[in-house]
Amino acid sequence: MKRILTVLAASTLTMTGIYAQQGQPYRTPAQKLVLTSEDSLNNNTAKNKTVISGYGSAFYQRDFNQHQATVSLDRLVLFVGHSFNEKISLFTELEVENAIIAGVNSDEPTSGRGSVAMEQAFLKFNLNARQYLVAGLFTPRIGITNENHLPVNFNGVERPIVEQLVIPTTWREIGVGLYGTLDRLPLNYSIAIMNGLNSANFHHDSGLGEGEGLGSNASANNLAITASAQYRISDFKFQLSGYMGGTVGLSKRSADSLNVGLQTGAFGTPLYLGEFDVQYAKNGFSAKALGTYIAYPDADRIYRAYAKSIGSGMYGAYLELAYDWLHTKGTPKQFITFARAEALDLNAQLPALQKQEDQLDGTLKQRHIIAGISYFPIPNVVIKADVRLAHTGEQNPALVINPPPNALPYKQNNQFLNIGFGYSF
Amino acid sequence: MQRRNFIRSSCNACLLLATGFLLPTLSGCGPGAYQVFNTDVKDDRLTIPVGTFAKGPLVLVRPKGWFYSIALRKKEDNTYTALLLKCTHQDNQLTTSPDGYSCSLHGSTYNKEGRVTKGPAERALKTYPVTIEADQLIIHTKA
Repeated sequence: MKRILTVLAASTLTMTGIYAQQGQPYRTPAQKLVLTSEDSLNNNTAKNKTVISGYGSAFYQRDFNQHQATVSLDRLVLFVGHSFNEKISLFTELEVENAIIAGVNSDEPTSGRGSVAMEQAFLKFNLNARQYLVAGLFTPRIGITNENHLPVNFNGVERPIVEQLVIPTTWREIGVGLYGTLDRLPLNYSIAIMNGLNSANFHHDSGLGEGEGLGSNASANNLAITASAQYRISDFKFQLSGYMGGTVGLSKRSADSLNVGLQTGAFGTPLYLGEFDVQYAKNGFSAKALGTYIAYPDADRIYRAYAKSIGSGMYGAYLELAYDWLHTKGTPKQFITFARAEALDLNAQLPALQKQEDQLDGTLKQRHIIAGISYFPIPNVVIKADVRLAHTGEQNPALVINPPPNALPYKQNNQFLNIGFGYSF
Repeated sequence: MQRRNFIRSSCNACLLLATGFLLPTLSGCGPGAYQVFNTDVKDDRLTIPVGTFAKGPLVLVRPKGWFYSIALRKKEDNTYTALLLKCTHQDNQLTTSPDGYSCSLHGSTYNKEGRVTKGPAERALKTYPVTIEADQLIIHTKA
């Protein structure tokens, strides 16, 4: 036994010595298949490789009106990517939200409030050095945060409220997209066709959010097209993006049976979204401004069909200013202070029928002021803290299901304290 | 009526798609922020005339058959750097920005020297040696 151990130890030392001489640690065959972001042994030119990376975030939030504090590991996302060759790659993002999902027979003390979902899963086909196609589940380029939603990419513990409620980040659908850059101009563009939204799931206080397909048995009777153009001039980056899609996934027979005149087909009962944003960055200063408007001309038909009081017009806009106080220090660290003002209204336009039936929800007209800090000890890790002051319109008593004293009286002003961290690798 | 709506919507969709495919042909509609130089790789070398930098310090070299460009930048001390515009996170093509280069896939950014300024990328861009022979810049792609 002692002899066997001696031989094993000698073999291990010999192997270690050989690889140490070559300047590389010993790796098993399985380890050699996997390239982590920390692994700089590969020289970035391999024909095929598998990459594991990801991002995550956690937060503490205190709601001062409710006298309630909450903590949660809100996102943990695992990327697995594989380059089959220089032309074809696979990208996947598997997301666990809020830490736990457990069945009723689980040993866990709680069933949790979490979810598991594929955030993206698509094949990428490089056409040349400037253009590529994607096919699968992906986040289209609409707004600033939807495409780049990692916590190191935005200031504030929470994503901008406008890009949660009006543009329902992370908005992903199944489709095919073309991405590219002009040959001699810094103009990036994208165009994609994908499955449309499901109006049967729209909800009056979450806009389009509940109607996303998310790659889960979404109807493909109705389709959508989205396109964007980005242009850089000096230190400014301008983006214009749009979306047009049918919102009724029913067959014509099913739609006709509802007897409200729902138009079916690829672009029946269409919804239109337009978005424009500008980003500026220079010498540590940065600014972002975004505006978006949604037009849904047939919102009254959705109300009559499903009793979902969705607005026929919704808008959102925000302006953010930020400064990195360590910009001149020559360090990768960043200490950013920022302030953001947001305005949105999901009931900006309501069809006459819903107005007659007293469906106008003043709480959907919101203003938010957020101010806080983002500290990056390295570019991949951020510690955040902010305060959000929220103001909404008046509550409509006709829409209150649980009036006081069963619920706390509604207050139009509220404050939130947020502390959190995020990482990406 | 339904058929008319379908045809109208389909035409709109086709127009949008056509716009996407035609956009690349619109190059040359305005002044570029960089020069573009298309070339072949010969003996693991890319040859670029020094005169290509007459209009600015950045030239995007597009080797024939490659899926990534090389950013060849002339520095203030008259030396040159050549960076492969391939994100070290998940190999996406990079685009130029005023401060360097950026990746649209997950938002990684790099400065003009190729160092990471924002994650998720962690490793600097691959660099190639550049030498000068007569009036030609040589990028050594084998290194």
